[in-house]
Amino acid sequence: MRVTILPDREVREVDARSVGELLKTLGLHRDAHLVVRGQDILTSDVSLSEADQIEVWPVISGGRR
Amino acid sequence: MRCHACRGPANVEIRRSRTAYCARCYPAWFRTQVQERIDHERMFRRDQGILVAVSGGKDSLALWHALTELGYRADGMYIRLGIGDYSQRSQAKSEAFASERGLTLHQVDLKEAQGFAVPDLLDTRSGKPCAACGTVKRYHFNKVAADLGYEVVATGHNLDDEAATLFGNVMHWNVDYLGRQGPVLASTHPKLVRKVKPLYRLSERETAAYAIIERLDYILEECPMAKGAKSLAYKGMLNALEEEQPGAKYGFLVGFLKQGRHAVPGGDFDQATDLRECTRCGQPTTGELCAYCKMADRGRKKSASKAAKYAR
Repeated sequence: MRVTILPDREVREVDARSVGELLKTLGLHRDAHLVVRGQDILTSDVSLSEADQIEVWPVISGGRR
Repeated sequence: MRCHACRGPANVEIRRSRTAYCARCYPAWFRTQVQERIDHERMFRRDQGILVAVSGGKDSLALWHALTELGYRADGMYIRLGIGDYSQRSQAKSEAFASERGLTLHQVDLKEAQGFAVPDLLDTRSGKPCAACGTVKRYHFNKVAADLGYEVVATGHNLDDEAATLFGNVMHWNVDYLGRQGPVLASTHPKLVRKVKPLYRLSERETAAYAIIERLDYILEECPMAKGAKSLAYKGMLNALEEEQPGAKYGFLVGFLKQGRHAVPGGDFDQATDLRECTRCGQPTTGELCAYCKMADRGRKKSASKAAKYAR
């Protein structure tokens, strides 16, 4: 499936059956990212299909706040 | 996964409590968490004026949104830090958030008001301005709040920020900082406004989920000056631990606040008590000249030397 990784909108083709597997394949921590399909945030157990258009949103901000 | 509240399909998983919520029930859960912390820590009352420190990022906008939804009288304040396009975009997001909701947003332009910007404050050892940027923010948020009569400054510090700060302070045994880490810093001087962190038990992921579900238009990219910052490395390590042990960050921070802080010398969680007024700017400080004024001198010098270089 086609996965767009924000904020740079890097596009990757990834083979994964679920959200949890997708993040694992991309080597991304579950607590540092949200996976979004359309307008919906997805939990890690949600099944994915080849036709899905997925976005991965990072959630970490840094520096001294 | 099913929503803990309505049993419909869930959208946001809270691994540390083994629950999940759907997009319809999640905002209410999030705001309940915020309200519980405000009440439990006695952060502020409904009749008090609150100044929210706004950066245009998810945390500050989610906090401002949640406070107004909960019925609090909360205005915002944004500091133009002068970090190129990043600052312009974050300013635009902050202004749009305020104007779309009819909220008041105060602003300070660092370059205009003080003659320097954050990129003029690079630390000679780390090459980063993050520590100085923190001083700039604390100083101006406090000063504007005190000058305009706000009783509380609320910041969007979340669980990940606080756990990473704690981790760094433990790593380096910064006992003074450990003693002052907490969700409420009481006022210890007439010019020092009370500081609170209503999101301190909510993770970055939970705050981002709230911002996405509530369709808050926030700046998604990282501050370009924070790349390689120690806080990001600490967050990465803590998230690696969280992957294996859900709830590790929460247990680390909340355990410290409940048990560890009392063991730290001077860990009364107030701001400094032996304060006088800075001989130059009049703001509270422990020395003759405050840390901000010393740093501002350095920033203006750097800014002037950059200007001279470009003029040649």
